[in-house]
Amino acid sequence: MHFDLGVWIGAFLTLGIISFLYKDNPWYKICEAIFVGISAGYWIASLFWQNLVSKLYDNLAPAIVALFHGQIQYNLLYLVAGILGIMMLLRLIPQIGWISRWPLALVVGATAGLQFINYLVSNGVKQIYNTIVPVFGPVSDAGGIPPVATTGEGIGNVIILIGTFTGLVYFFFSKEHKGLFGGAAKVGTWFLMITFGASFGYTVMSRMSLLIGRIDFLVNDWIRGTFG
Amino acid sequence: MELLRSRIIIGITLLSMVLMFGSALAQDADKRDVLDSTAVRVGTFKKPVNLPIPAQLDVVEDSEGDAGSSITVSWLPSPDDGAGKNNVIEYQILRSESQDGEYVIVGSASRGMTQFQDATTTDGVTYFYYVRTISKDGGANSQISAGIQSSPQWFNTKDLDTFIIGLIICAAVIYFIYHAQKGKKFFLRQIAGLEAVDEAIGRATEMGRSILFIPGINDMDDVQTVAGITILGRVAKTIAEYDTKINMPVSRSIVMTTARETIKQAYVAAGRPDAYSDDMVHYLTDEQFGYVAAVDGIMVREKPATCFYLGAFFAESLIMAETGNSIGAIQIAGTAMPAQLPFFVAACDYTLIGEELFAASAYLSGEPKQLGSLKGQDVGKIIAMIVILGLCGLYTVASISDSVSLLDFADKIKGLFSAS
Amino acid sequence: MKRTVPLLITFIVGAVLILAEFVPHEPFGNFGEDFSLYFDIIAVFAFLLGGGNLIRVHVTKVQRKKKDWPFSIVTLVGFLGMLAAGLLKIGNPDGIQGDVAKLGSLFNDLYMFIFTPLQASMFALLAFFVGSASYRAFRAKNLDATILLVAAFVILLGRTPFGLWLTSGLEGSLSFLQIPNLANWIMGVPNLAGQRAIMIGIALGVISMSLRLILGVERTYLGQDNE
Repeated sequence: MHFDLGVWIGAFLTLGIISFLYKDNPWYKICEAIFVGISAGYWIASLFWQNLVSKLYDNLAPAIVALFHGQIQYNLLYLVAGILGIMMLLRLIPQIGWISRWPLALVVGATAGLQFINYLVSNGVKQIYNTIVPVFGPVSDAGGIPPVATTGEGIGNVIILIGTFTGLVYFFFSKEHKGLFGGAAKVGTWFLMITFGASFGYTVMSRMSLLIGRIDFLVNDWIRGTFG
Repeated sequence: MELLRSRIIIGITLLSMVLMFGSALAQDADKRDVLDSTAVRVGTFKKPVNLPIPAQLDVVEDSEGDAGSSITVSWLPSPDDGAGKNNVIEYQILRSESQDGEYVIVGSASRGMTQFQDATTTDGVTYFYYVRTISKDGGANSQISAGIQSSPQWFNTKDLDTFIIGLIICAAVIYFIYHAQKGKKFFLRQIAGLEAVDEAIGRATEMGRSILFIPGINDMDDVQTVAGITILGRVAKTIAEYDTKINMPVSRSIVMTTARETIKQAYVAAGRPDAYSDDMVHYLTDEQFGYVAAVDGIMVREKPATCFYLGAFFAESLIMAETGNSIGAIQIAGTAMPAQLPFFVAACDYTLIGEELFAASAYLSGEPKQLGSLKGQDVGKIIAMIVILGLCGLYTVASISDSVSLLDFADKIKGLFSAS
Repeated sequence: MKRTVPLLITFIVGAVLILAEFVPHEPFGNFGEDFSLYFDIIAVFAFLLGGGNLIRVHVTKVQRKKKDWPFSIVTLVGFLGMLAAGLLKIGNPDGIQGDVAKLGSLFNDLYMFIFTPLQASMFALLAFFVGSASYRAFRAKNLDATILLVAAFVILLGRTPFGLWLTSGLEGSLSFLQIPNLANWIMGVPNLAGQRAIMIGIALGVISMSLRLILGVERTYLGQDNE
């Protein structure tokens, strides 16, 4: 019998988590408590070294030293980040806690500004670009016009067009889903259902593989590894 | 006599040909000698050196729309590019700071390419370039360019079309925000999930159980989280008025701070500042699955009557939604993560799909300015539909009628949306 | 003052960042990256609030002997232990200068033997939950749910050898109806259409939300009552 502490701890924790499927029990509660504590400590310690030390201290310290020598470096702007961070902490002092709204306002403003462009380009403009295709056309490239290839592709293009169009109709806020408009919205709903079903079916198998990984650990590493 | 003369002529001709052929064979064997030798051998026949035809410089200019330190070199491909035996292997780009100075290689491009971006320049310094075409036999140089400097630009002209599209949509949204302020009412269709919010809160109040609010697992630098927090502000006011318990475990510290501010002000606005407690919002862990393990524990132990999942979610979405299902809670979800929508749709009572999450806060507020912005969104959708249908139609007509000019025109307009 | 300054900050920062996307000239060209860095730094300061809250909640539970208080001790021990192991780089072969997750350090050991199995096990639970969600979805009661179910079924089978075997008899012009082919077609055509509609809608939603935030029309995140 070969006893590997690491494997036995792993097995204990794995079975404890899986026991949740039966019902809440002390075994799961211990594993949950360990997970919350260990993971919170992990992220705080990691990001302390990664962000506070590597990004703030390593960039700001030389800039401050340079300031004492009369030079103004670009990295001095990290001072702003440090000040904003401290303002955030002022929330702990009730009398001046309102100052913590300033870094919050900056974060929200910056998020709004940056995501505005990101989503406009990647979700808006690029998606519109990709939807624009010739629907019908020649199946050969005689005459210098790119072919639509096959009839099947042509039908596919029509369906994509209808689906995108009716999907957008469904999302309309300012018009009631009645009559022709309502009919188009209904068709849009069907396309959305197909999309959701496809995503669902697509992920099922990959979720199964995660379970297989754990079962493999339990059977091979733990049971077989210990008892031979 | 005639026969003898013709035989002598044929013989001399044949002998000359043999000699020529023989020396050519000898020349091939000694090819390196011929190429390297500076001495001229009398009577030997030299094989010509087969260098590639050099590419010619096209345009050398400061790279467009950047922060400087970059020059773009373009050339017309060598006629030997892609052609049989003497095919081009690559193009080398050489640079010097003076026209007659020493040139160094700054980069290379494989055959078929016609452009190279030199991103190692210093702004304000004049550079000269030429392109050397390399084949297996050696290299041949293009002409030398005029002196060029790199510099930063204030506006990225490549993004002009995106800028204009963004401006148009902004204008539509802002127009309707302020138009609505003048009292014009818009029709808004009902969204089931939002109609159910009051009922869901009421249910929790009647049963004496708490409401669980999950603002997603991303931080405040994700606009979905911000959307979730704005909805929290609306929901918290009703919760304060009904005096229902709220439990909000969060995964990020900044979200905790923001949520506390939001709920506190909601209680103040409802006239019940003393009922607020900081413990309503508590931090668990930044780790995705540690967070959901703890949330599951809260669900099965506290058994909240209503669960809100509004924000950015990843794989853990299904774990939460299914556990919520198992305790019989009403679940209202909303996310703009397309991969998680199916799981919420399958497991929750109501799901706000994508855009509806961002509209929710406006809906719940009932304020004219907020509702006006939704009308602006609709205008954006109309623009998208017109562009898509219009250009698809144009391309189809161009394809059927075999019109190259129409195709070019359609390509130009489609190019406005390429967002390169 | 308390109300106006934050709104002004949001407006200026938001507007500048939108315009900065189109201005490559320094320093505007770097604003997006700079903000990400600043945000990461602010988030670390905020950890003091979050971590402090975690400790306070569990210490209070232990002190007042609330329900399940022994488990709070476990959480506190785990949290403080991992924090100490990471911040002080206990047992790190390279000492305080080394990479915090260096192989052989206590931090790395705790990560490998405790954190990783827990994370993998929670992830594995998804397999069971997907099963229960699918079981409920099988009881499709209306047309919409039926469409979702059929699409999910075809895609699911299309990714398994069983699906290929099931319809292998369909040849020639009917080969289109073979399940793997049908699955690919569904992914590439109707699914794509729906995805595009959702994404374009999201883009417009984000644009509208961003404008509301920047213009101060939406203020609940500041905890202000709207007027």
